[in-house]
Amino acid sequence: MPGLVVNRIAPGFLAATLGGFPDGLVVVTGSSGKSTTTKMLVAILEAHGKSIFTNPSTANIAQGLTSALLERVDLRGRIDAQIGVLEMDEGHGAQIAPSLAPRVVLLTNVMTDQIDRFHDSEKVAAMLATIAGRATQSVVVNADDGMLLDIVAGQHTATEVVRFGVSRSVLDANPRGLGYTRTASGRIDPTEGTVVTGVNGRSATVSIAGESVEIALPARGTHYAVDAAGALSAAEAVLGNSFDPATAAAAVSAVEPVFGRGEVVTVRGQRVEFVLVQNPASFQLNIDSLERGLDQIFVAVGSDVRDPSYLWPVDSSPLGRVTIVSGSKAYEMALQLSYQGVMIGTVNPDLPAALDEFLALPAPEKGIKTVVFTADSMRRSRAHLGLA
Amino acid sequence: MSPVLGILSVFPELFNVNGDAENAAVLAARSRWSGRSARVIRLALGEKAPESAPGMIVIGSTTDAVLPEAIAALRLLRASLAEWIAAGVPLLAVGTGWELLSDSIELPSGTVDGLGLVPGRAVAADTRVADDLVIASAFGRLTGFENHARNYELPAQTQGLGSIIYGRGNGGGVGASEGLVLGSVIGTHLHGPVLAKNPALADHLLSIALPGYDSRTVPSGRVDDFARAARNVIATRLELALETA
Repeated sequence: MPGLVVNRIAPGFLAATLGGFPDGLVVVTGSSGKSTTTKMLVAILEAHGKSIFTNPSTANIAQGLTSALLERVDLRGRIDAQIGVLEMDEGHGAQIAPSLAPRVVLLTNVMTDQIDRFHDSEKVAAMLATIAGRATQSVVVNADDGMLLDIVAGQHTATEVVRFGVSRSVLDANPRGLGYTRTASGRIDPTEGTVVTGVNGRSATVSIAGESVEIALPARGTHYAVDAAGALSAAEAVLGNSFDPATAAAAVSAVEPVFGRGEVVTVRGQRVEFVLVQNPASFQLNIDSLERGLDQIFVAVGSDVRDPSYLWPVDSSPLGRVTIVSGSKAYEMALQLSYQGVMIGTVNPDLPAALDEFLALPAPEKGIKTVVFTADSMRRSRAHLGLA
Repeated sequence: MSPVLGILSVFPELFNVNGDAENAAVLAARSRWSGRSARVIRLALGEKAPESAPGMIVIGSTTDAVLPEAIAALRLLRASLAEWIAAGVPLLAVGTGWELLSDSIELPSGTVDGLGLVPGRAVAADTRVADDLVIASAFGRLTGFENHARNYELPAQTQGLGSIIYGRGNGGGVGASEGLVLGSVIGTHLHGPVLAKNPALADHLLSIALPGYDSRTVPSGRVDDFARAARNVIATRLELALETA
């Protein structure tokens, strides 16, 4: 692991290199939406002619970040990029934040997440506050998230607060809310920030910088429109007067979905949509966003869900029926689905065998084969299916 | 026609951090499978207690941050809760939902009074535990997960729910007690879907609430097979004997 070695022999490498971008560093953090938001932000900045260094979404820990930097760094320790855009896990981000001085920090949301590791949302919020406290110019914040509003209210006043959110009608169209631990009581209007004013399938209308733009989303779901609003707001904060809403909208619309977040992949001649579940809130959002009455659904829950209690607050009944339940926590998931009234075909904890069985089924009559999995099951599925 | 079994779920919007409030749905489902209508009565924070006694009560667990507010809100319902408990209404209280029924809870910010409805108190432990918890009980071996940073001091004359096979439970570790049983009240650190994973415990509570309830007639076969398989996955990991059908 080259990253690990460098962190040991040159502990200042990470901070020094990340402090060297001429147009500064942007950090994207929060419970969910980081990968998609980061990808969108990079696309917008590149469309404005900026060269970007960004980390691969799986490498959001210090070692992985150092490894990614080493691939790009020159002999003087510089990276040939104008701006750094980093996706950071809230836990590891809070650890390395004290050595960083990002120009802009974007906070996506606080969702009840990874209970065994962080214990509760208040702890997650404290970590995000630590990261946000390092911003030198702007904190870009999801203004529909009450816990994030508390964080920016507690920040020093030298930092500009940039807000994004959804309109009242967009929120009302999501009766279960958007998954935040605490939804703010009020909505912002377009004079106060970037607002998602409409969502229709894979398209959305966003009001930014006094203009209303139409954007295409990488997949169905209001949460992707919120990711886009966050990326647009952060881009405006970084680019200032040179930010162009039309250019930005075109760039966001061209962003391909991230694997596991709506991407449709052809595997063994079958079209399959892979859906990653990161926490109970994203599980709920993803279930609610799926087409109703799908013929073939595969659900895999792996060892990353140490405590299966985590699955229980989710209303999984919209799934209707699940063809195969798999992963090392297959029986725990089957139990949850059963009590929610979901019909279950078979339960098979052996993930490779279960995937083979699922892919061998003839194409579904309605919709496409849909695989819903947790991060551990995603990793194992990709390895088994030979997906990069 | 027998009356509808009302299962009161206390503050489910706040007390479902670990999915414990879903135990009410498990009781409702098993009641329906036995041929008895059931419905979950969701009591929101700030709402008045129902006029008539519910058939069963579930209190899930919440975070320390909201505990003082929840205790204050529940104090207004204390008289009703005391009356229902005295009348033998089965009550399942999980984690912090159990602690708030006790005499006191030691929080990082200071000790707060509980409702004093069950004996004992929750005291700060040296470390947090977040691991499997397996106990031997009168309802068979119970398997689940515990995640707490406090222990529970059970008075000598008070009965525990079981003795620990694996885990920390009330604080004493293997061989010591976990949980509390007081008449038809059960308190436990087994959080999340304890009743789904351990249907014998659910059926015990239902047999108190429903005259003539016989778990052997409940057609829950496949679901209880899933539960046993889930328990056996944990038993295998902990090198405990496996359960057979």
